[in-house]
Amino acid sequence: MIEIKGLHKWFGSNHVLRGVDLGIRDGETLVIIGRSGCGKSVLLKHMMGILEPDQGTVIIDGTDIFSLNFNELDQFRLKLGMLFQGAALFDSLTVCENVGFSLYEHTNMLEAEIREKVGVKLGLVGLSGKEDLMPSELSGGMKKRVGLARAICNEPNIILYDEPTTGLDPINADVINDLILHMQNQLKVTSVVVTHDMTSAYKVGDRIAMLYDGSIIGIGTPEEIKNTSNPVIRQFITGSAHGPITLQEESNSV
Amino acid sequence: MEIHKNFENVRRLVSVRRWLAKIGNLSMILAYNTGGLALLFKDAIVVMFTTKLRWRATLDQMNKIGVMSLPLVFLTALFTGIVLSLQSAYQLRLFGAQQFTADLVSLSTVRELGPVLTAMVVAGRVGASIAAELGTMKVTEQIDALKALATNPVQYLVVPRVIAGFFMLFVLVIYADVIGMLGGYVISVFKLGMNSHQYIKRTIDVLRYKDVITGLIKAFFFGGIISTVGCYFGFNTTGGAEGVGRATTLAVVTALVLIIAFDALFTAIFFFF
Repeated sequence: MIEIKGLHKWFGSNHVLRGVDLGIRDGETLVIIGRSGCGKSVLLKHMMGILEPDQGTVIIDGTDIFSLNFNELDQFRLKLGMLFQGAALFDSLTVCENVGFSLYEHTNMLEAEIREKVGVKLGLVGLSGKEDLMPSELSGGMKKRVGLARAICNEPNIILYDEPTTGLDPINADVINDLILHMQNQLKVTSVVVTHDMTSAYKVGDRIAMLYDGSIIGIGTPEEIKNTSNPVIRQFITGSAHGPITLQEESNSV
Repeated sequence: MEIHKNFENVRRLVSVRRWLAKIGNLSMILAYNTGGLALLFKDAIVVMFTTKLRWRATLDQMNKIGVMSLPLVFLTALFTGIVLSLQSAYQLRLFGAQQFTADLVSLSTVRELGPVLTAMVVAGRVGASIAAELGTMKVTEQIDALKALATNPVQYLVVPRVIAGFFMLFVLVIYADVIGMLGGYVISVFKLGMNSHQYIKRTIDVLRYKDVITGLIKAFFFGGIISTVGCYFGFNTTGGAEGVGRATTLAVVTALVLIIAFDALFTAIFFFF
């Protein structure tokens, strides 16, 4: 259970998050949609404790993550996995060292055990045998899948996905969607997916929430979102240039 | 319309409030970055003594910062020694005191030029590369990924570089001192016709322990400055490739200014104590 309570975040004079309240149930996949630059990734980084809020808090399984000290927060983060937008693989390390990073860092497992476990995780994302490649030798889709393998390496209870399908061709995007569903069904994890790809949102989401102007303006099942009467959500999901959301508003709110 | 525009421009130029605002803004940026640098340095020192050291990463950085700077430091020190001996011989000859060239080269290299010039060329080479590497990691979210994988970026990235900076500058300056004196020796003995034995004896005799130690203390801290400044601007990079370029420039410029400033500070302290 993730509870976000009254989250505010400023970057300089830019008020990005303006009181976000959101509850994410155990075992569900919640998709957060919204325009580019509306603060979706910022919200996700608060759930990981990478950014600190100016006001409000995030409570995960009853623990207020911003009340933890540095070491406790590090320990807590091991329960979470995160797939970054550009995969964020460490480019000086091999695929195996990337995927097994937290095992090398935080456990006393032997090299052979780590390689075995990394092999299993890479198998899950369809990249068996690529252990010794460098990130620079991988395509965009492969990088995302390695990033996903790294996120699930520690068997987290919660996985956060930051625009998992952005920048991928439709087939690769669908492979990632299938992987997200697979994680959900096989590992029974709670997932939060940030995206503006509606195909992906409808496919993987149990519920969809829309972030607009720094707060959540609507939340519901994909069916409810499809049939919403809210003009802002309607405009976004149909991808229309005409409606309440204008470019002018974007430059004001961002 | 034209006149009105000109009037506006002049008004803006002479507006005291505008100038004050500009000065205020610059002071804020200066204070912000000074504080940020000091905090990062403090964090690095605390983490250095409270967590396990990453030997492999530290040795790797020592290779990058120290060993790979050897050719650059060699050339800089050699030419400095050559120029120093030529210039001082040219002046000292007027007083018939050419044999003091050895003393002058030796003292000025060990006390001042060795540490400062070495630190400056290393700041250009290493400071820039640290800022560019960490800056790229920052803009590609690799630093966030480290945090997400429960690893402290200061411990993983900063501490190995700062330790390597401290010790490698120390060693590089010893090397630069020797090469600088060698440059002076080559010119004085083979070009200016001084006696080899006498030159070497004068070079060594003129040095006191204090001269050598103060030079090396400076070197040690310059190394820390270069690494910390590189890491700081790398960590604070925003905005893609352009941001990485800006961070690199800022890191080198800041490191150079700090090296000169701390050189003045150390020299003043050593002068009085």
